[in-house]
Amino acid sequence: MKSNKVVSLLKDLGLLLYAMFALFPLVWLVIISFKHDREMFNTTFIFSPTLDNYRVLFSSGEFIGYFVDNLIVSVGAIILSIVVGVPAAYALARFDFKGKESIAFTFLSFRFAPEILVVLPIFLIYQKIGLYDTYFGLIWIFQVVSLPLMIWILRGYFEDISVEMEHAARLDGYSWWQVFIKMIIPLIKPGLVASSLLSFIFVWNNFTFSLLLAGQKVTTTTVAMLKYVSSDTVHYGQMAAAVLISSLPIIILALAIQKHLVRGLSMGAVKG
Amino acid sequence: MLLRKFLAIIISLVVGIVFSACSNSTQSSGSSVEKTELKKLDGFDWKRFKGEEINVMLNQHPYAEAIIKRLPEFEKLTGIKVKYSVTPEESYFDKLTTALNAKNGNPDVFMTGSYQLWEYAPAGYIQELDPFVNDKNRTSSDYDINDFFEGVLNADKWDLVPGHKVGTGNLWAIPLGFEINVLHYNKRAFEQAGIKNPPKTFDELIEIATKLNGWNGEGSYGIAIRGTRSWATIHPGYMTSFSNHGAKDFEIENGKLVSKLNSSKSVEITKKFVELIKKAGPKDWSNYTWYQSSSDLGAGKAAMAYDADIFSFFNNKEGASKEAGNLAVAPPPATKNGNLGSNMWVWSIAMNKSSQKKDAAWLFMQYFTSKEHMIWGATQANVVDPARKSVWEDQGFKERISKIEGYEETFNSVIGNSTIKFTPQPEFFNTTTEWAAALQDIVNGADAQERLNQLANDINKRVERLRVK
Amino acid sequence: MQVEHKRGKFVQADSTTLLSNEEIKIPFLRKMRPYIILSPAFLLTIGILIPFGMAIYYSFTNFSFKYAVYNWIGLENYISMFKDPEFWHSVKVTIMYAGLATVIETVLGVIIALLLNRESVIAKSLRIVLIFPLVIAPVIATLIWQLMTNNSVGILSKWLRMVGVDNFTWGADPKTALFTVLVIDAWVFTPFVILLVLAGLRSLPKAPFESAMIDGGSAWFTFKNLTLPMIMPMLLIAVLFRLMASLQMFDIIFALTRGGPGNTLMTLPLTAYTEAFTYKELGYSLPYMLILWAFVYLISHYMVKYWSHTQKKASGK
Repeated sequence: MKSNKVVSLLKDLGLLLYAMFALFPLVWLVIISFKHDREMFNTTFIFSPTLDNYRVLFSSGEFIGYFVDNLIVSVGAIILSIVVGVPAAYALARFDFKGKESIAFTFLSFRFAPEILVVLPIFLIYQKIGLYDTYFGLIWIFQVVSLPLMIWILRGYFEDISVEMEHAARLDGYSWWQVFIKMIIPLIKPGLVASSLLSFIFVWNNFTFSLLLAGQKVTTTTVAMLKYVSSDTVHYGQMAAAVLISSLPIIILALAIQKHLVRGLSMGAVKG
Repeated sequence: MLLRKFLAIIISLVVGIVFSACSNSTQSSGSSVEKTELKKLDGFDWKRFKGEEINVMLNQHPYAEAIIKRLPEFEKLTGIKVKYSVTPEESYFDKLTTALNAKNGNPDVFMTGSYQLWEYAPAGYIQELDPFVNDKNRTSSDYDINDFFEGVLNADKWDLVPGHKVGTGNLWAIPLGFEINVLHYNKRAFEQAGIKNPPKTFDELIEIATKLNGWNGEGSYGIAIRGTRSWATIHPGYMTSFSNHGAKDFEIENGKLVSKLNSSKSVEITKKFVELIKKAGPKDWSNYTWYQSSSDLGAGKAAMAYDADIFSFFNNKEGASKEAGNLAVAPPPATKNGNLGSNMWVWSIAMNKSSQKKDAAWLFMQYFTSKEHMIWGATQANVVDPARKSVWEDQGFKERISKIEGYEETFNSVIGNSTIKFTPQPEFFNTTTEWAAALQDIVNGADAQERLNQLANDINKRVERLRVK
Repeated sequence: MQVEHKRGKFVQADSTTLLSNEEIKIPFLRKMRPYIILSPAFLLTIGILIPFGMAIYYSFTNFSFKYAVYNWIGLENYISMFKDPEFWHSVKVTIMYAGLATVIETVLGVIIALLLNRESVIAKSLRIVLIFPLVIAPVIATLIWQLMTNNSVGILSKWLRMVGVDNFTWGADPKTALFTVLVIDAWVFTPFVILLVLAGLRSLPKAPFESAMIDGGSAWFTFKNLTLPMIMPMLLIAVLFRLMASLQMFDIIFALTRGGPGNTLMTLPLTAYTEAFTYKELGYSLPYMLILWAFVYLISHYMVKYWSHTQKKASGK
């Protein structure tokens, strides 16, 4: 048992080491968000904190606008992906039909197109059909980013659920819909939660599409972030504050869903 | 399955081609320099185009901020509504190029640098301004186009023939403000090291800057210089010294552009510049953009800087940076006797050739480049350096820059011989970015003559692609 | 009665007949059901083929933003590209970058996920917090790291000097530039792998592991023969997506060095972007992007084949 303790301690140490690597830049980001530009380069941990950077951020109503824009576009994209992707993943997992693997691979292949390859033609198309600088325009193109990941992760989870369980529940008299909602969804929760979170992050942070396919009426925080790299000097403090505030939704989301990352224990019973 | 995959690709290709062909038709309708037919107007009137709405694309910049601040005045004076967008500089030109290429009249007016004009004008995106400036019924009588510094206005003029200097041909844009390149130094650093006067020659500069390494503790060094793999590295200090040394980037031989970057003069000055970087520049020089250079000067990490004069303007303001109040300005270093000049960067506003509201757009443009706005901008906002001579005579402005030792004197000594020193051609960004990459290689140890030979070769290949009509 | 044929899939059969595929008459609507279910997702994304087709079209022209008209020039762009030594250099750098990034992130991600899958206090509290770097957009992450590694004012440089290392210039030195961008990439994206693997680990059944423990196998044995095969499908998805993304990585390299110093970090996406947006030669840049696309396509094709193979293996166990 003693060696177990030592091993456990070492493992914890390893975790802490990685945690330092992962978290230090973030901690540092928080620190500089409270630093005035003047003191940015001459002080490390000891300085006189100021709320100025945050104040500037909120004084013009602009930042709130970007934040809301980003929220609308990202949440919209993820909801659309879930609504459309969950059935698609289910179909790919459950049914056997001609061209199945082809279609599955095709969904994946949408991620192959480098963004800069398609963004210019899409710009021209969007201009022609009036989707330029609109919420739906961005939500639609974001599907190319969020849908493949969702479908492929969920497909794996669906395939893990044995059909017999579904049959058993159906035999018990539940309708297909009830089975789906009450039994299947909880079982794929970790996958659904993980893939939604990931897709949300990628869509929230998207740069290329948000930059070139929108920008006046619809401006996302990622694009606007470079505002703080203004022309006379980089206001690192303001940039840090902006980054932190715009990361809040994701952080809150991550914290809220973390318990759903654990699947129900019933699974083990059937798979055994 | 394979057939299905191919089918999909073929279908998409066909649709794609059809779509491109449709867009193509809008392409060819925008041919090059055609004469502008302007309606004949009767007398000048600010309010003539009341009720019109124009779209303006602005780069994130103090000049843009000054415009945005006074939009209410403009709208009151003319009754024209202005919708604008501001994009950070990193991405501004990506967006602008895309917008101009769509040729749908949006934006009506946009901010641009002079180098970009060399691409946009031949492509037919920009409206020639001579018909507007010279029309007494379209331009207010007190506009006074000759009030602009000649070198600055020339930066926006070109006759579209690759190899012909700036200052020839049509006026494509009106300057908002500009920067020349000078030496900045920290007076405190000089005092500390017992240096009485700023260096006059390049060799003196190398000596003094090297002496100042480490002047302010850890991480401090002699002179801040830009170094990223970008045209922005070549055009400030480097190009200034390049042209002051008498080197040329291109010559016309047999009707073709030939790169002269491997000439002996070019190799000489490049070697000197590289020596300065290696001996006294920042250790991670190739990561240095405008921002790092400026902030190092202001933070007291760099004792000197060889870059845009407005560095000192911004950093010397009270409370703006650690070294505020300690900065001073001197002319760029000389390598031979003769008139010192500087390369310049000019921000201007231009008009979209496909705009449907050209007259309203012109009113916007002349308002924000008028004497009134520029004086306000130079004294109440951050529009420096102002492009009009009259602003430099203004007491308020003089007082403002008097706080920076040497600013006005240096400007006056250099402006006469300052303009854009590059040879205009549409492949400018292509050739200067490769030039920067070559400079990086030389700093990292490559032989200067060899690398510049390779560069000249590369550039000749690229300008061969030039389609001159 | 519905009968299971293959694991996890079913074929509807008439209640009285037995199960011979050829004999089953499946009503048309039933047969179409999967297609119908898939159609929304499909419709939403198939549109991407149009810009793709346009891109292919333009790659055969000399379309440039600098000139008003353009011409069809056939394979000229492709030929120039293949003849250009810089192109082959780009390919090399792209593969190196993507390969190293994926390997580092996968190995590190799996290790950390395993460490997080325990019940110690530290593991539990760090579990959600270690995702945070992923939340920061790569562009911003690069700006942060750039500030930290700046030789004059960066905090990391300060610390290096404290231990006597003075000449480490991170992204500015051709020798360490690749290392620096890999650090940034790993910093942002390792959490991606961690999240997926962790989700996979936490949905594993307990039974096999309990019996393995009773049987007294070593940790490595358990990992190699039990854990790894079972999480392989999830892991492979992570690897696949990381590989695809890092082959196309643009933001980090551009923000740090724009492809420099010199041409050290000029990957295919960097070269394509520079040609298209800085030099405004769209026609010339497209072959670079299309070759990259083809490359990603091929690699993914084989990875997916491997994935379905491991999927079957994982379920079989």
